[in-house]
Parts: sequence; structure tokens; C-alpha cells
Amino acid sequence: MNATKQIMLDEWRYWQRTKLATTVIFIGVVLTLASVVVNTIEVRQAADERKHFQQVSESRFLEQPDRHPHRMVHYGHYVFRAPSPLSMIEPGVDAYTGTSIFLEGHRQNSATFADQRQSSGLTRFSSLSPAFLMQVLVPLLMILVGYACITREKEAGTLNIMLTQGVKKREVLTGKFLALVGSGLLVLLPLALASIWASVTGESIIVTTGFVVGYFLYILIWGAIVLWVSTFSSRKNTSFASLICLWIALCILIPRISSSTAASIVPSPGKLEADFAVLEELRKLGDGHNASDPAFNQLKANLLAKHNVNDIADLPVNFRGVVAEYSEEKLTKVLNQFAEIRMQEEVSQAEIARHFGWLSPTVSIRTFSMMMAGTNLETHHRFLREAEALRYEFIQSLNHVHQHKLDYHTDINRYRDDVVARVDAGNWNILSSFSFEPQPGMARLHQSLLYSLQLLFWCIVTLLLIKRASRRMEQ
Amino acid sequence: MPDQVVAASSLCVKLAQNDVIDNLNFTIGRGEVFALLGGNGAGKSTTLKTFLGAVSPSSGTASVMGLSVDADINTIRSKVAYLPESVMLYGHLTGIENIEYFLSLAGIKQAQPEIEEALTKVSLQTDAWHKNLSHYSKGMRQKTAIALALLREAPVLLLDEPTSGLDPRAIDEFNQLITTLANSGSTIFMVTHDVYGACQVAHRIGLLDKGKIVGMFERKNNAHIDIEEVHAAFSQGKIK
Repeated sequence: MNATKQIMLDEWRYWQRTKLATTVIFIGVVLTLASVVVNTIEVRQAADERKHFQQVSESRFLEQPDRHPHRMVHYGHYVFRAPSPLSMIEPGVDAYTGTSIFLEGHRQNSATFADQRQSSGLTRFSSLSPAFLMQVLVPLLMILVGYACITREKEAGTLNIMLTQGVKKREVLTGKFLALVGSGLLVLLPLALASIWASVTGESIIVTTGFVVGYFLYILIWGAIVLWVSTFSSRKNTSFASLICLWIALCILIPRISSSTAASIVPSPGKLEADFAVLEELRKLGDGHNASDPAFNQLKANLLAKHNVNDIADLPVNFRGVVAEYSEEKLTKVLNQFAEIRMQEEVSQAEIARHFGWLSPTVSIRTFSMMMAGTNLETHHRFLREAEALRYEFIQSLNHVHQHKLDYHTDINRYRDDVVARVDAGNWNILSSFSFEPQPGMARLHQSLLYSLQLLFWCIVTLLLIKRASRRMEQ
Repeated sequence: MPDQVVAASSLCVKLAQNDVIDNLNFTIGRGEVFALLGGNGAGKSTTLKTFLGAVSPSSGTASVMGLSVDADINTIRSKVAYLPESVMLYGHLTGIENIEYFLSLAGIKQAQPEIEEALTKVSLQTDAWHKNLSHYSKGMRQKTAIALALLREAPVLLLDEPTSGLDPRAIDEFNQLITTLANSGSTIFMVTHDVYGACQVAHRIGLLDKGKIVGMFERKNNAHIDIEEVHAAFSQGKIK
């Protein structure tokens, strides 16, 4: 243990005296710290803004004067998705999907059809989130710091001198490994502090702990990969070139390939194509604004029979309101059907891409990180579904007001100057307040189990590789 | 010479299906300097690496102080001091820091006066003690490594081409140092292609060619091994 500690300390001393490694570590720490601070401030501001706008939107809806209820259907309402506390570290798909939806009658306005493929690979260079730094840049920093940790000793002949002091190969490798992991942990420190802050601001402690442990495992994996290649290689240049190739493959290419493969296996139509398909189906339903549309003849007949009257003017309800409600129900079913197909396609794509975590630890940590932070695709879909449920509920409530609070005769004469086709503003009080809550910690932990297993798999594989490489360490 | 400290018995080493060491037999006693002399590719360094456990014998045995390299390499390593052909140690550390570090790896804590005494013994000039090793010449680095061996009280020294690249004065100093160490009981096994240096310092010289010992020379009546005799072996084509 003493020799291991000495080797670890000497590695640190070497980095300190040769300056390059300390500069690299310093840049890594400063970059992560700056990114954490900037993102924390931004997310905090975004959370406050969205909370504020949610309240403003609700109160504006409620403050609307006496109006025709269908005008309120089109006046609409906004819902905002408050960022999860950990999104300051891992923005996940939020950066690509949007976080607010305008809710109105007959439409599902949302970013439902955002392309999940945009969230991986080189395109992510545009955002320097702490998660991105940890997932992509920290491995590169660890390579720069540690690529020569064993090859340097081989080239200088000091490895054999170390071994002839009675030091075991295992102690040399452990000392170097701890030094490397230590450099990664320094960069992880700002992220760990941000996670503690997230706990303070309401995130589950189980989640924040799991989140940090996940990144800790990722650092262990990259520490082991760097050490393995350095042990396996006989020259510093070979070690550096091999590690850069591995970094490109594991951090850039495989994540990119994973999304492209997923998109090829589960092809999904583009937005225009999908919109035309939806429109085609909606046309078959009839125009809900036009109560005389033949599509509603059967509804009219059933209603007249039910109330035993011959004219819609004699119905105890406003037929135009009934048509609006009926039409909204049919239309929503079609919209939901298309939305569910689309979301299922996106989830299938994401699941295929996530299996590439067995080929790249970067894919594993990315999935794990988004799952734990609650910024994954499924959470976004839950937001869309909850927003849609709210939309349907308040639109149908307004249609209900239309049926019962505005008589048919007034309604059909609404454009005459002497007719006031309005209902009392007190009827707008049908709006439920919207608050999107993250899933409980245990549920997120359960969801990310497979991806924590992927990380553990990588830990075991890389440690076995080191053990294997240590056999030819002295050659 | 007394008891066997280093021994090779029917030692064979194959690397990439080639016989690099072929049925090697020799012993080195306590306080003896044994030089294995040979040209490039004769198998000298491979022989040395076998005793360090860096290369495994394909058959036969290599042992140090009665311990087989196959079974007790960690114990053997703790008893030998190894000087590679190009002793680098750590360029970012001073001579004293290098010694302190390697001693700490061996579990030895030496006070600075003892380290300074060892450096004086190997004639390393005092103004160099606190300079980084990156400023040392090869001879100075070698002296530092020998000082380390002295402080570790390693009973066996394995030297790989120790005089290669040294100037004549440094070679003389090194030879004197080796003789002193041997006289104090250290067993020294060196591999070299320096005929003159080997004759100056070794008690016995084994001529190695294609992994086999093709000639053995030893001191007679305490006189140095006759360089003419060894040289003749080269010129007769025994050593290429």
C-alpha cells in the first residue's frame, strides 16, 4: 500500500513539475466550473421565468372578459416545463425539444416531432454543458495527462528499476491508476458540488448521489482505458495515437453511429410528411366549426331522437357546442394516435441507440445521465402527454360551457349587431394549474438500472484488460 | 568462489519461436564479478532480463540466491539492483529525490546524511546532488543508481552494458566502484560488449554467441583476465 501511495504521489509530482499535465487539469477544472456556474445561473433563471410565465398565462386566461366560449378555445393557454434541478448539469433532450407549448382547440402545437438524432455526435459540440464536458472532453484530458504513465517508465528504463525495488506490478498499476483517477475526480468536483446544490434545491438525494456515482464510474473506466493502452504500448507515441483513435471511436463515432443506425432501423417520416398524413385523417372528420357539415348528420339525428324533438333549435343544449365537443373528441383521438406512433418511433430509436452503450461507455453515461437528470426523451414525452391532457380538459370544458351557457339561437345570430353572444367571464375558471413534476428518485434509478449495468460492465472489462496487459508490461 | 548466488542451469529462452538463449549454464558466487561478453544479438540482454523476470525461460532454470525466477520473482527483485544500459531514473527529480523515492518504494527510509554519504562513496560531485537528473551525464546517472544500490544493500547487481557511452575517465571510476562493491561482498552480473572493461573488472568472462556460451575465461593468480586471449576469441570468429 505504501509503494502504491508513493507511486501515486510521484505521478502527481511529475505532473506538477512538468507543467503540461497540471495545465491540462487546471483547464479541465476551470472549464467544468465555469460551465457549472453558467448553466446553474441559466437554469435558475429559466426556472424562475417559466414559473412566472406559467402564472402570467393562467391569470391572463382567467382575466379574459365575457366572450364567446369558442373564442376562448382559440385564445388558448401556455404551459411551461420547469427545468429539473439536474438539468443545469445535463440538459439532455431539453435543448432540442423546447420547453413550452401553446395549447388551443383542434391542434397539438408542440415540439413533438423533434428529431432525436440531433442530440448526439458532433452536433453536441455546440453546447458546452457540464455533462458534455465530462462525457467527451474529460476523457481527452485524461488521455493527455496519462497516455505516457507507463510507457514513459518503460522508455526510461525506470519501470525495471521500480520493480527491482521489490514493487509489484499490481502496485505500480494501482498507483498510476489512482493518480489518473484523481485527476479526473478534480474535474468532477465542480459537478459534484452542483449535484449537492441540486439536492438543496429539491432534487432527490438518491438521484444526485447516483448521478455522481455514475460519473465516478465513467472516470474509473477512462482511467483504466488510458492505463491499459499505456501498459500495452511500448512507446509513448504509440500509446498517444492509440488512445486518440479510441477516444474518437468511443466518444464521437459510436454515439453518432448509434443514432444513425437507430434512424435506419426505425425510419420515421419527416415533419411535413407526418403533418400531411394527420391532415388527411382530420379532413374525414368534418369541420367542427360548421354544425351543418354532413359529417355530423348522424350526431344530429341521434340527438334529436334522444330528446324527441324535430329541430336542433328545440334541443335543451346548444347544438353548435355539442358539435364542437364531439369534433374535438374525434380530432384529439386522431392527433393522439399519430402523436403516440411518433413518440413510440422516437422511443424505439432511442432504445436501439442506447444498446450501443455496450460498445461505448460514452453512450452508457449519456443515457444514464439523462435518465437520472430527468432530461431524457421519455420525460419529454410525459410532458407532452400531460400538456395534451390539460389541453383536452380545458377545451372540452369550454365546449361544455358553449353547450350549456350559450343558447343556440343567440349563437347562430352572433354576428348581428343587436345580439351579444357571450358568456360570463366566471366560466373561464375551468383551467387547472399546470405543474410538471419530475419522476420520483427511485423510479428514475430503476429506469437507469440497465445503463448503470453497462457502466459496471465497462469497469470490469477495462480492469480485466489492464490485468491482461500487465503480463507484457516489462517487455 | 564460494556459494552460488546467481545460477543458470540448462537455461533456454524462446522469443517469437526463435531460440535466443540455448542451454545456458553458469554460476556466480558471492563477491564475484561475472561478465557475459558478446556481440549484438548474442542474447546478453535477454539473459539479464530472464533474471529480472521480464522474460520467462522456456526450459531450464534461472535462480538468484537459491530462488527460482519462475516461482519467486518478487523476492528476487527485492534482492537485486538493476542498472539498465541507459540509466535514466527520473529527470524531474534531483539525485537525492530519486534515491529517496526509490528507497521509499523498497520500504526503506534513509536519512539525508546516509544518502549523501552514499553519493560521496560513488564520487558524485556535491554540486549535482540537488540538481534535476535531466542535467546529469550518463556517468552521473549511473553513479546515482549505484548509490541507490548501496543504500538498499542489494546483495546482487545486474548491469546491462554499464560502460556504454561513458568517457574513459568515467569508465575507470566505474570499474573502481565495481571492484570496491565486489570486495565488500556484492555479487555482480554484467552483460557487455566492452572487452577491455570486462577484462579489467570481471573475475570471470563468459563469451556468448547465438545464445550459447562458447568460451569461458577467468582470472589467474589475481591478475586481470588476459585481454589478448579474449580478443583472440573474437578474431577467431567465436564472437561476431
